[in-house]
Amino acid sequence: MQRRTFIQSLAAAAAASVAGPGTAARRRPSLRYLRPPGALNEADFVSRCIRCGQCGEICPNRCISYFGLENGLTSLDTPYIIPREKGCILCMKCGEVCPTDAIRPIPRTAEDILAGVRMGRAHVDKRLCLSYQGKTCGVCYRACPLQDVAIRVGLLEQPHVTEQCVGCGLCERSCIQMPQAIRIIPDYG
Amino acid sequence: MNQKANRWFFLWRHLNKLRWVVLSLVFTMLVALPFVYVYQTYVAAHAYDLLAPDEKRLYDLVETLTAPLTDDPAEDLDAIKGNTWSGTFWGLQLTDPLAVVGQMAAALEVWWPLVLTALIPVLLTVLFGRFYCGWICPATFLYELNTNLAVWLRRLGLRTGRRRFDRRIKYLVLGLGLVLSAATGAVLVAAIYPPAIIGREIFYAVALGGFGAGSVFFVITLLFDLLVARRGFCRYLCPGGALYSLLGRYRLLRIQRIVENCNDCAKCNAVCEFGLDPLRDGFGQECNNCTACMAVCPTEAMTFRIRFRDQPDQGPGHLGRLYRKQQGGGREAA
Repeated sequence: MQRRTFIQSLAAAAAASVAGPGTAARRRPSLRYLRPPGALNEADFVSRCIRCGQCGEICPNRCISYFGLENGLTSLDTPYIIPREKGCILCMKCGEVCPTDAIRPIPRTAEDILAGVRMGRAHVDKRLCLSYQGKTCGVCYRACPLQDVAIRVGLLEQPHVTEQCVGCGLCERSCIQMPQAIRIIPDYG
Repeated sequence: MNQKANRWFFLWRHLNKLRWVVLSLVFTMLVALPFVYVYQTYVAAHAYDLLAPDEKRLYDLVETLTAPLTDDPAEDLDAIKGNTWSGTFWGLQLTDPLAVVGQMAAALEVWWPLVLTALIPVLLTVLFGRFYCGWICPATFLYELNTNLAVWLRRLGLRTGRRRFDRRIKYLVLGLGLVLSAATGAVLVAAIYPPAIIGREIFYAVALGGFGAGSVFFVITLLFDLLVARRGFCRYLCPGGALYSLLGRYRLLRIQRIVENCNDCAKCNAVCEFGLDPLRDGFGQECNNCTACMAVCPTEAMTFRIRFRDQPDQGPGHLGRLYRKQQGGGREAA
């Protein structure tokens, strides 16, 4: 990465005029998206991904979409997941098929997923959450593929997200509140 | 009129048709795979009853077509994934050399597992030259149809592009694309390489609901070919073509002219999509062994040779008028 910074400063002027002022992995603050499970940190992911689209072509849940130019030129045609539209079911097929290991292959076991996947972490808005308003809900807990590990419930099914949450987004997808009371805060590494 | 024997020409003159079959098959694969994928997601969802009528039709169609091949479509149909940019075929991963080079430039490191996936394409290119451009590239399929369209438009009396540029521009595009990839840390060459664009745009359109940004770029290249220069993008601008040309510079298999059979009709030059000069033995590293010149040659003057270098210019064909004029005096004396 040292050479990267060197070359970037070297070519900063040229790059600025052609590719915009962005350097690697710039994100629009208004855009909140997840990378597929097992993805490298944002800068490495963008430089490793060759935009072949195989991750999206194998995803059985059709949750992987591809950027146009809305997240800048460097993100063009890279895969992303909007959890409110469709969460990741952690089948881990995308890492298996990725030819560059931009999405690392992670075996489909709870231990490996807990150790290797860090798409983000769920965050509960207690003002919106029904369970915290005295109306027993618990939908997010039931949607979670890592029940009692990533998310626990207390009185009235009030969700408590733990440090173990991998950020697959199934809770955000399933939340019956509008807007959703539980959201994934992405972790781009 | 002593023609030199060209024993296998009866086969070679049909290779161009075979090439079209291959091109069509690759393109058909790129169109079919997204539909197979959509079908797989329906299977995985176990929700046939919830499908809309047209979704049910797709489901039934793909199920009928794939039923003889598999009884576990969710898993078995994963056998072929991806496109010509990078794909997985029964566990064998194949990647376009440009993807490897672009990824190296973007990450500034060599990722060997990816390099190995490009080994087979690179070896084939070293042996057969830029064959990918003529035989596999899904963009070639559309570009050559575009050339035919240009011919029809010209017959109608409309003007189409016939300009020529320096074909070395594409090496500049390749270099610039790699430098910009390194500067931005993103594989930007993937965004300006038509075969990569076509594979994913078809997938976007079929499975994800609409064409993406790349289709705009591709349509612009089609218009460029139509209005400015015939097959202009491939000849002058394509970064992948540049890389393949460099790799295929010392290719083993070459199309060469048999000067004894040539009658200088120049049909080969007219038909050559890459604007090369077969008539004067000007093949060079750009030739993609597409065999269009063989298919059109009326006097069996084109053949395959196993050589590292092209023959130097052999002069006018021996069946042509020019050669007879040159030789005229000598033959009368004999």
